Amino acid sequence: MARIFVEGWDPDYGTPLDQDDALSPAEGSVDTSVETDDWAPIEGCDDGVDRIAFVDGVRRIDARLTLDDPEQGPTPGLVGTFAVGAVVWDRETRRSEVTDVRIERWAVLAGGSGEQMPAVDLEPGVSTTRAPGDDPNLLTMALHSKMRDAEGECAESLSAECAVVADGPLKKIREHATVGYVKTHRVTYVEPPLGGVIAELAPGQRSPMFCIAAQTPYARYSWYLRLAMLQGGHSWTGIVRCETSGHLARDEASAIADRTAAVLPLVASEPHVDPRAPQNLVPIGALERELRHRMGDRGLVYRALRHAVMKPEIQQEAS
Amino acid sequence: MSVEQVGRVLGSQHSSTSAFRVVLDDDDFLQLDDLVVVRTQVPKAGEVRTYGVVTEAEAVYEGASYESDTHRIAELGIMPAAKVRTAQVQVTRVDPEVWVSPDPGETVERAVGDERAKALYVDEMGRPLAVGIGRDELPVHVDLDFFDGRKGGHMSISGISGVATKTSFALFFLRMLSAREHTAIVGEGASNMRVLVFNVKGEDLLWLDRPNTRFDDEAREGWAALGVEPAPFPSVAFWAPPKRRSGDVIVPDTGGRLDGIEVFSWTPREFIDDDLLQFCFTDANDAKNQIPFIRERVQTQLKRFAVNVAGRPGAVVLRDPSQTPGGRWGAQEVAAGPGEPLVEDLPSLVTALAVFLEPDDGSEPDPAWTGRVMPSTVSAFMRRLHAAASRLGHLVRSGETRRLHRGGATVTVVAIQSLHEQAQRFVVGALLAETFREKEETGQRLPLSVIVLDELNKYAPREGTGPLKDMLIDIAQRGRSLGVLLVGAQQTASRVASEVLENAAIRVSGRLDAAEAERAEYGWMLPSTRARARLLKPGTMVISQPAIPVPLVVTFPFPPWATRKEEVDEAAGPDPFEGL
Repeated sequence: MARIFVEGWDPDYGTPLDQDDALSPAEGSVDTSVETDDWAPIEGCDDGVDRIAFVDGVRRIDARLTLDDPEQGPTPGLVGTFAVGAVVWDRETRRSEVTDVRIERWAVLAGGSGEQMPAVDLEPGVSTTRAPGDDPNLLTMALHSKMRDAEGECAESLSAECAVVADGPLKKIREHATVGYVKTHRVTYVEPPLGGVIAELAPGQRSPMFCIAAQTPYARYSWYLRLAMLQGGHSWTGIVRCETSGHLARDEASAIADRTAAVLPLVASEPHVDPRAPQNLVPIGALERELRHRMGDRGLVYRALRHAVMKPEIQQEAS
Repeated sequence: MSVEQVGRVLGSQHSSTSAFRVVLDDDDFLQLDDLVVVRTQVPKAGEVRTYGVVTEAEAVYEGASYESDTHRIAELGIMPAAKVRTAQVQVTRVDPEVWVSPDPGETVERAVGDERAKALYVDEMGRPLAVGIGRDELPVHVDLDFFDGRKGGHMSISGISGVATKTSFALFFLRMLSAREHTAIVGEGASNMRVLVFNVKGEDLLWLDRPNTRFDDEAREGWAALGVEPAPFPSVAFWAPPKRRSGDVIVPDTGGRLDGIEVFSWTPREFIDDDLLQFCFTDANDAKNQIPFIRERVQTQLKRFAVNVAGRPGAVVLRDPSQTPGGRWGAQEVAAGPGEPLVEDLPSLVTALAVFLEPDDGSEPDPAWTGRVMPSTVSAFMRRLHAAASRLGHLVRSGETRRLHRGGATVTVVAIQSLHEQAQRFVVGALLAETFREKEETGQRLPLSVIVLDELNKYAPREGTGPLKDMLIDIAQRGRSLGVLLVGAQQTASRVASEVLENAAIRVSGRLDAAEAERAEYGWMLPSTRARARLLKPGTMVISQPAIPVPLVVTFPFPPWATRKEEVDEAAGPDPFEGL
C-alpha cells in the first residue's frame, strides 16, 4: 500500500520527482552492469580530495523586446543576463570562496536580419544573438544555452586543479572528471527490481554505477546517492543523481562516485535554510545568491536598456 | 600631511553630515576614539574635509543570511562569505564649513599630525590645555577660555565612587592648570591663582605634596606625553578643624597626618561679622516655616549687640547699643559684667541668645529679635541652634584669630572629612562666602580662584533651598565673570541643582551607574558613549566641551603625588630628623 508524503521543497521549485516524463524509461540503452551485476547499496569513500569546486549559473530576463519590422510585422525578443561562477571549497583550510565569476548580457531576437542591440551603458554590455523561432520558450532557451556553455567552460578550466561538481546534467561530455549533479529526477534510468536499491540507500551510500547512452559519444556513468534522510521523508527523499564522463576509465569513475557519496552529504543543505533542501547544496545556494547579486540591479538594467533604445529619439527632439 | 588610508566611506547606506560608516581595508583597523578624515570634492565648493571620531566598530560575514551560516562559513568552510569590518564615525568638524556629507566610496584616512589637531579643533582653541591622553597616546586638549571665564566657566565631574576617578581627575586637571610648563597657556591667570580643595572623604588629599612610591615608568610616559614634569604639587597648604575635646592644646582633627597641617576656626567676633549663623541652617528643611526669617533677624541684631571684651580677643558680650554714641559699638571694648554671658564659643553664644529669645522668667521673647513669629518657631530655631552648637561648636572659639587664609599656597586643602555633615556644610559655606565676597569686593577676574568640591549633591541638592545652595548657584551663575571657578564633582548629576550643572562649560564623566547614565543630565554624551560610560576603567574619562561637538574619551596618568599614607615615599619626603 503506497503512502502519501508532503514534499519538503518549496512548491515554487516543483518537486525533486518531476513528473514531466512520468519516470519513464530513458531513451537509448542503459547498461546497469557496467560496475557490478550484484546491485546493492555501496558505501561511499572519502579519498580526501583537498579542493572541490561547485559550478553553477543563474539567469534573469531583464526586458522583453519587440522588433517592429515595417514589412514582416512585429517579432519578439528579450534581453537577459546570466552569471556563472564557482565556489572553491578548500577542505584543508576549511574555507570557501567564490571564483571565476563571469557575467554576460544577451539580447535574443526571434526575427529580423542583422539588427543589433544599440550600445547600452552597462558593464558588461549587451551582445546580440538570434533564436531559431519566435516561441518565447525558444528565446529563453537561447539564453539558457549560452549560460550552460559558460558553465561548461568554467567547469573545464577548474577541473585542471580541483574536483568539480557542476549543477545540472553534463552539457558536453569531455574526458575530464567533472561531476554533473542532478537534483530533479525526470527520467527513470533503472528499472525494477534493481531500482529498489535506490530506496534502500542510507545517507553516504550510493547505488552501483550504470552507463547511459553507452557506446555513443554521449556516454556517461551515472549513480544515485542519498544526501540525507529527512524526517517524514519518502523513500526517495534526499536522493540525487550524479553523472560523469563515460570516456573515463571505469575505476576512475568508481572512485569519483565513491567520493561524491561520502562528501556531498557534508555540504547538503538543511530544510530550515533552503527551500530545496537537502538537494540544493550549501555552496551552490550561496553561489546562486552571490551571482544574483553580481548580475546588478534589475531596475537599473531595465532603465539603461530603455535609455539605449530611445536615445535616437531623445537626440532628435533635442536637436 | 601624512596620508594613511584605513578604508572607504560605506556606500550601501546614507552618509550624513553628522555620521557615516567606514568599510575597513583588510590590512588596517579602526578602534573607538580613533580620529579620521575624509576629503570630498564638492561641486563648486572644492575640497571639503570631514573630520570624525570612531564611536563604534562592527564586523559581519557578508553573505551569511542565517545565524547558523556562521558554522558553515567559519567551521566547516562549505559556504563562501566575505568578512566585512566597519566603523561608525561621528563627525566632529567640516572644513571649510560647507555642510555636506562625505561621498560614498571616498578614502578614509587616519587623522594624524595637523589633521588630528583640526579634528579636535586644537587649531581654533585660543588656549589649548592638555587634559588627558587620547587612544593614540597623544594629548587631548580643552580650550581654557571655556574654563577660566573668558567664554565659559566651571567644570562638572560625574562618576560612581569607589573607582577614585572624580577627585583624581580634578586634581590632575589642577596640576595641569598649575604646571610650570603650562604657564604660557594659562597666561596671566597662572600667577597668584588660588585653589581651594575640600577633602570630604578619607584623607586622600592630604599627601599632595609627597611623592608616590607606586609611580612607575608607565605613568612617567603618560606625563611625558602631556609635556609636564611629574612632581607632587609644589605649593600646598593643609588646613583642618581642631580636634574636639583636646583641652587647651589645639591639634588638627586628622588621622594619618599631623605635621604641616594648620588648624582653622572662627572667633565669635568673626562668626558674627561674617554672618556665619546662616550656615548653621543649611538643611533643606530649614527653609520651610519661618526659620530663615528669624535667623536673619537674629543675625542683624547680633551685629548690633556684639561688643568686644577687653582682654579676651575674639570674645564678645551682647549689649544693647542704643545708649552708646551713634547707637553702634564699633571697635569699642568693654569689660564683661558679672553674670553677663560671655560669648567664647558657639554654645555660649546660644546661651547668650537665649536671654533674648527664651527668657528664663517665662516672659515673652524680645520682639526686636524674633520679629513676632510664633513661639513654636522660636523654639524650633533654638532647638536647631542647640544641635548646631553640639555638632560644630568646636569650630568657633575665642582667642587669637585662626582664620583659614588662602594666600599662603597655590593649593589650599581643607580637611573636613571628620566633621559632621552639618559642620561640613558650615565650613564649605563659610569659606565659599569668604572667597566670593573677596572677589565681589575687588570686582576683578584675576587672580583666579578655583574651588574643588566633591559630593556637590550635599551642598547644592536638586530639591529644597538653603543659603549654601543659593550661594553655589550664585557662584555658578556669576562666578565666571568674577574669576571664581567651581570644579564640582558628584556621584549622580541628577541629584545636583540644575542651575549649577547647566553653567558648567566643561563636563566630565567617569564610570556611571547604568541607570544614571540614561538620565537627561548626560544628554551631552552620544548613545555609544553612554553605553561605554558603564564600563570605563579608573583613569578614563569622557570630556565634553563647547568647542567640540562630540564628547572625547581620554585617559589621565597615575599621579606622582601620594593619595594615601601607604603611598608616601618617605625617602623622598622631608627629612624627619631635620631641625633636631
